[in-house]
Amino acid sequence: MGKILDWLDSRFGIKAPHQRFLQRPLPKRLSYLYCLGGVAFTLFLCLLFSGLLLSIHYVPSQDEAFHSVVRITREVRLGWFVRSIHKWSANLLIVFIILHTIRVVVHRAYRPPRELNWLVGAMTLVIAFASGFTGYLLPWDQKAYWATEVGTSMAGTIPLVGKYLLYLVRGGPEVNGVTLIRFYSLHVLWLPLCMGILLWAHFHMVKRQGISGGL
Amino acid sequence: MDRRKFLSVTIKTFFVILGVITSAIALITTYPFRIKKRTVKYFPVMDEDELPRRGVKTVVFSYKRQDRLLTTRAFVVNHANELYVLSPVCTHLGCLVNWHRKKKQFLCPCHGGKYDITGKVLAGPPPAPLTRLPMRIQKGKLYIGMKV
Ligand code: HEM
Ligand code: FES
Repeated sequence: MGKILDWLDSRFGIKAPHQRFLQRPLPKRLSYLYCLGGVAFTLFLCLLFSGLLLSIHYVPSQDEAFHSVVRITREVRLGWFVRSIHKWSANLLIVFIILHTIRVVVHRAYRPPRELNWLVGAMTLVIAFASGFTGYLLPWDQKAYWATEVGTSMAGTIPLVGKYLLYLVRGGPEVNGVTLIRFYSLHVLWLPLCMGILLWAHFHMVKRQGISGGL
Repeated sequence: MDRRKFLSVTIKTFFVILGVITSAIALITTYPFRIKKRTVKYFPVMDEDELPRRGVKTVVFSYKRQDRLLTTRAFVVNHANELYVLSPVCTHLGCLVNWHRKKKQFLCPCHGGKYDITGKVLAGPPPAPLTRLPMRIQKGKLYIGMKV
């Protein structure tokens, strides 16, 4: 195993540039609070894993969506389990991003040169909210439908552009099959892609700037 | 074994176990859960001389699917010198339709779907005509094909 990895790395060369990062000095008073961001990332990996499995059986069409979710829960082997993982990770992800943010605020780790990384982190929270909102429509049951009806109608209250914004998110004046496809595409393609890019930037800056000494 | 080596081995073992478990879950959930192919099998329904000479006759019959005895009905229709069998399952949401002799229509009790004698949709939400079931006449008996 180690030999194979060494052979791969001799061509790929990812180990050496990270050596400095992995062996770097850390602030004296580290605590488990510094793991909160890592927990959030682990939850994102769980979402990615369970989401990819769900997308094998989920059918994003207004006629099939609800039945396919019932099928996932009742017939697909371990389907109920994978769905639960997805649901719990989605909720916990938001909790842990917020806890991580509180840690950063308390330690004043948002100060220069880390202000850009604070912004990137804030954007991951926005993307997480957006993923939760779009994912909630996917089971296509009454609760999902009306939550989306109410949630998207808020966009319509914005002065001047509200109406057009509403048409844009719903794909028309009302929530229907077009909305479902839109939300599905955002949920499984656009948002995970944005999240991946943001997380890459986040970790890149953590590596470059190191962990702040705290307080 | 020193502390560094111990941690390194523990962490590696943890990730190997994690990899095995996640691969197993992925394989178990993605493997198709319904592998049996459904084939059409023919079941006797009525004698040839009971066939309707004109119009619609409702037949109730039993058939076997995976050792379970199921009872259902179907419409045997003789219209414009053509004999065919219609499924009573409404193509909207699957209620069972009834033949209305006076109106000469199949009426769905659920959301007002209406079909003519050939199964074509006349009114209501159904998106497609009534399904024609496969049939054959053999040794003086009418057989209807069901997916089992
Ligand atoms: C990264 C890749 C992801 C993929 C491929 C994915 C895929 C899916 C699919 C196919 C469904 C419908 C199945 C179901 O409802 O059980 C779903 C539902 C859902 N997703 Fe995701 N998802 C991903 C990430 C996320 C993220 C980051 C979040 C939230 C922060 C999230 C939150 C949800 C929610 C709340 C549901 C509704 C669950 C339910 O009602 O059972 N997903 N996802
Ligand atoms: S089920 Fe027949 S009209 Fe809806």
